[in-house]
Amino acid sequence: MRAALAYEWVRIRTIRSTWWLTGLAVVLGVGISTLFSWAIHHDFSRSGINAGDLDGLGAAVVTQLAASGQIPSVVCFVLAILGIFAWGHEYRHGMIRASLTALNSRWSLWVAKYVVVGLWVAVIAFVTMLLSGVVGIVFLHDYLSVFSAQTWSIIGREVLYGVLLSWLAMAFTSLTRSQAFALTSIFLWPLLIESLVHVFFLLVPGLRDHTAVLRFLPFGAGNRMVDVLSHSTSTFGDPLSPLGGTIVFGGLTVLLMAASFALFRSRDA
Amino acid sequence: MATIAARGLGKSYGGKPAVADLSFDVEPGSVTGFLGPNGSGKSTTMRLMLGLDAGAGSTTFDGRRFTELRHPMRHVGTLLEAKPFHPTRKARNHLRMLAAANAIPRTRVDEVLALVGLTEVARAKPKSFSMGMGQRLGLAAALLGEPHTLILDEPANGLDPQGILWMRLFLKSLAAEGRSVFVSSHLLSEMALMADHLVVIGKGRLIATGPVEEFVSSAQANAVVVRTPEIARLGDLLVARGARVETDQPGLLTVTGMAADAVGDVAFDHGVRLHELSNKVATLEEAFLERTAGAEEFQAHPPAPPVERSDA
Repeated sequence: MRAALAYEWVRIRTIRSTWWLTGLAVVLGVGISTLFSWAIHHDFSRSGINAGDLDGLGAAVVTQLAASGQIPSVVCFVLAILGIFAWGHEYRHGMIRASLTALNSRWSLWVAKYVVVGLWVAVIAFVTMLLSGVVGIVFLHDYLSVFSAQTWSIIGREVLYGVLLSWLAMAFTSLTRSQAFALTSIFLWPLLIESLVHVFFLLVPGLRDHTAVLRFLPFGAGNRMVDVLSHSTSTFGDPLSPLGGTIVFGGLTVLLMAASFALFRSRDA
Repeated sequence: MATIAARGLGKSYGGKPAVADLSFDVEPGSVTGFLGPNGSGKSTTMRLMLGLDAGAGSTTFDGRRFTELRHPMRHVGTLLEAKPFHPTRKARNHLRMLAAANAIPRTRVDEVLALVGLTEVARAKPKSFSMGMGQRLGLAAALLGEPHTLILDEPANGLDPQGILWMRLFLKSLAAEGRSVFVSSHLLSEMALMADHLVVIGKGRLIATGPVEEFVSSAQANAVVVRTPEIARLGDLLVARGARVETDQPGLLTVTGMAADAVGDVAFDHGVRLHELSNKVATLEEAFLERTAGAEEFQAHPPAPPVERSDA
């Protein structure tokens, strides 16, 4: 396993896409937080603060508004591309045979990929949120404590979300062995497919009474992991609790990972 | 040094066998050429040997399967793809990555780059590499762990004549050090100069295995050429003694199944005048084409004879 980890560690650091994706995630993350913090500061300084304005504000600043529960984390989606490339490059450039003749244990290679990408994503997501929080402090220190207990909790959950999303993207790429297909799907699924399903349930009369099941759509459930504005009554209530969201989104991830390993073990390289 | 023992290798695609019950040995200290027509299963066989493809049979390297080897690149060096690297990962980094997986010191990376003549482009991205440079980088990767066994699929592809000569001398020198070198190639003339032994397959099945000389000498194309003004008489005499004769050109007999000495003796004993008596030795290409006739996966039609045009 140490050999596989060493291999993956060198692999992820010696490809330019790792660095530009990492840079893009940090710049985008800090940039959005800067813009948002400045806009809030500007608004507060002109109009004053209303009751409830500060609810979850620190969490929203560090997560680039993902804590609103309305949108997924931009930073995590950019970092998930690292996961797609981790498997995508193997198949797109015929590296898989070189990898499996350098490391003859498929299990080791498979585990090492998930560990190294997971760690990389966790660290970069954490650092981005820290920097975003610092930016938030610069603009909003007069109004709130950005790094509250709630914010730290959300940071932890967002890191977990980022790792799960990257692993899901990796598993999907490994299953399809198509980088292009995985890249397209990972953005279309949450942004289009799940919205389409929502509209279906709203417009088809026979489905209107069953909209409650939509809370189990995986990316919607994933959004609940860091959602500070929704209030759930139980783990799998409507809306899902953060734990419920983690179980649904994480469950799908684990399922896809298990399927990807089963196929990776038996498929021809 | 390792003996490669492949036993009962088999692989089917959609019920159609690509490799069937293929067994052979590769001995240390030799270059063993792996020959077969396009689509005969050479690459599939190599992948089966390394556990990259799922299939029947087993291959051992000194008694151990590839998947059982610790730090496999220190035992078996492989080159299976024309460009087995990411196009934007620098050549040196590509090798560093492979070295890290096999606890090979970084200094060895620079050594193999120098060995294959890529030191100047060590920090270049391989996307700009020619096919030949890509093959050299692939070979550098195969040599990284100083393995006792090399499995190379068409390593001479894309190399210029100097590169092919270098590759031949290089592989022969590795074999001379006692390593087992198993190499496939379509360049039969090159294989004739490089290989000591052959494994020949057609449609996934073993056709022949053994020393190159033995394979070539068994070919029908080995013949005795006789030029004589008494072609019919000598032909009858030779056929009566079990030889096969052909008369492709006037006054010229091509005799198979009888040595030149015996043909000369028959002619002398019966007072037949000879103007020429010589051995026609088959080339590896002739022997290969003869033994693999009908074993091609994709058979092309021979070109039609040229038709003379009349401009009138």
